[in-house]
Amino acid sequence: MEEKQYPLTPAQMIHHLPIRQLGTMQCINVSAVLALQSPLDFGLLKQCIELEYERNECLRVRFAKAGENGEVTQYIVPRHYEDISIRDLTGMSREEADHVMQQWAFETFEPYDVPTCEITMLMLPDGYNGMYVHLDHRIADSCGMIVIINDLMQLYTHFRFGADMPAPLSSYREMLERDLAKTANEKRIAKDRKFWEDQFDQFGEPMYSDIQGLRVLQDSRKRHGDKTLRAADLELENPAVGVKDFNLDPDATRALVDFCMNHELSMTNLLLLGLRTYLSKMCGGQEDITVRNFISRRSTHKEWTSGGTRTIAYPCRTVISPDTEFLDAAYMIQDVQNHVYLHSNYDPQLLKAEMKERWPIPENTVYDSMALTYQPTPIRMENPHLAGIPIWTNWYTNGINTKKCYLTVTHNPDGGLHFSFHYQTARLDDHDMELLYYYLMRILFKGIAEPDMTVGEMMLTL
Amino acid sequence: MKMTDKKLKELIAQYCNVKAEDITDGMRFREDLEFSSLDFMAFLGELEDELDMEADEEEVLKIRTVGEAASYIANIEAAV
Repeated sequence: MEEKQYPLTPAQMIHHLPIRQLGTMQCINVSAVLALQSPLDFGLLKQCIELEYERNECLRVRFAKAGENGEVTQYIVPRHYEDISIRDLTGMSREEADHVMQQWAFETFEPYDVPTCEITMLMLPDGYNGMYVHLDHRIADSCGMIVIINDLMQLYTHFRFGADMPAPLSSYREMLERDLAKTANEKRIAKDRKFWEDQFDQFGEPMYSDIQGLRVLQDSRKRHGDKTLRAADLELENPAVGVKDFNLDPDATRALVDFCMNHELSMTNLLLLGLRTYLSKMCGGQEDITVRNFISRRSTHKEWTSGGTRTIAYPCRTVISPDTEFLDAAYMIQDVQNHVYLHSNYDPQLLKAEMKERWPIPENTVYDSMALTYQPTPIRMENPHLAGIPIWTNWYTNGINTKKCYLTVTHNPDGGLHFSFHYQTARLDDHDMELLYYYLMRILFKGIAEPDMTVGEMMLTL
Repeated sequence: MKMTDKKLKELIAQYCNVKAEDITDGMRFREDLEFSSLDFMAFLGELEDELDMEADEEEVLKIRTVGEAASYIANIEAAV
């Protein structure tokens, strides 16, 4: 039977377009390991993985060629036909096994009509056993990945220990059809468009900012022979990515969380304020700063359990004068973000096209150098049958990115915050990330200690 | 379409871990129902689609409780 074909949603297009920009499928990979320091019944785990493929429709999504310029459609096959393999890395050290799994994260999927998720059972050093999930970002974002892993382990504990059978997952197809219908809702599109047009009318053309200061924009101005250019070039020739991770301890994290709670602020907005303040400082006090904020549009129960990619990105643009107090600046960002959230069904590609029409900047130039995603869902299994068992989890970079610097902030199982900076090695290095993290922390903790300090005064103290 | 109290609470329940029948007018979206900013905005977008109405963004951002949301909707419906 011919499977029904669907176009990609705007959220999927965010991950699909870099394939064309970079000319490789590598940028679409998302890979993670989850293992327990405990013996596992691999025969049972295999059955659970097969059952997961049945329960979780997004794992059966495939992409079909739909044009000569990389266009695709998607369809859902009725079952997963491939065998589940097992890999034995027990002869290695932890570091060696980690390195091997990092290499797997670079392995590309074929572009058309192939499975887009591979789950491999693993035997790891130090008595760890578990699985490695390697999938196409267009079928699941990190929340989708966590749903897969949690559901799988709940299935395992159901059959192994008699725990409750996990509730059925919601239908990926149903949510896909719903999302596509929303995207086609002309009344809503018109309202969303008006919101962005009003923003552009009010603030005019955005201005590029960079942690490397004003010279980055100046270089682009020279390259394009345009002294008034306000956007800078993307690095697409060498998009290799380095990763630098930092952990904030639980007590310090608590202070940030408490500040947010006490002032009815979200952590995302506090982080955005920290980043935009550092960018402003590095660009000579520039007031007009844009940070790209990635949000996972999962609010209803159905959205949380449908898998899929629901991450979408919009510019968080704020114009904040130096005499603005830290807390007021945070509320300004919150206000901007609340309005953006209200229009978060809008296709970012439409937004990009409208900006381009209004300000015809050169191809592959952008107004933002920094992207943020804050994920409040911890990477852990909330499964009482596995409580107390040491867990080995790790996300592996796919190694390339079109974004110059992408910060992912998550919660560690110990209650601390984890900051993972992915940066383009052609432009930045570890030291830049150390400075960025150092100043980000100084800004945040100075700000929560003295919320009435102006951002201008704060920049002078850095 | 008119939004009944029952339907409003059923809609809210889709976004939180509280059953529709346990949701009261005094409950605050953020503190009691644990809505994030994004959840609340997504909920408002859903309301707009359900009621085929256009919310005043500045007004809806002031809504804190279920009762305030119900009053806002009632006012909108009365004005139509």
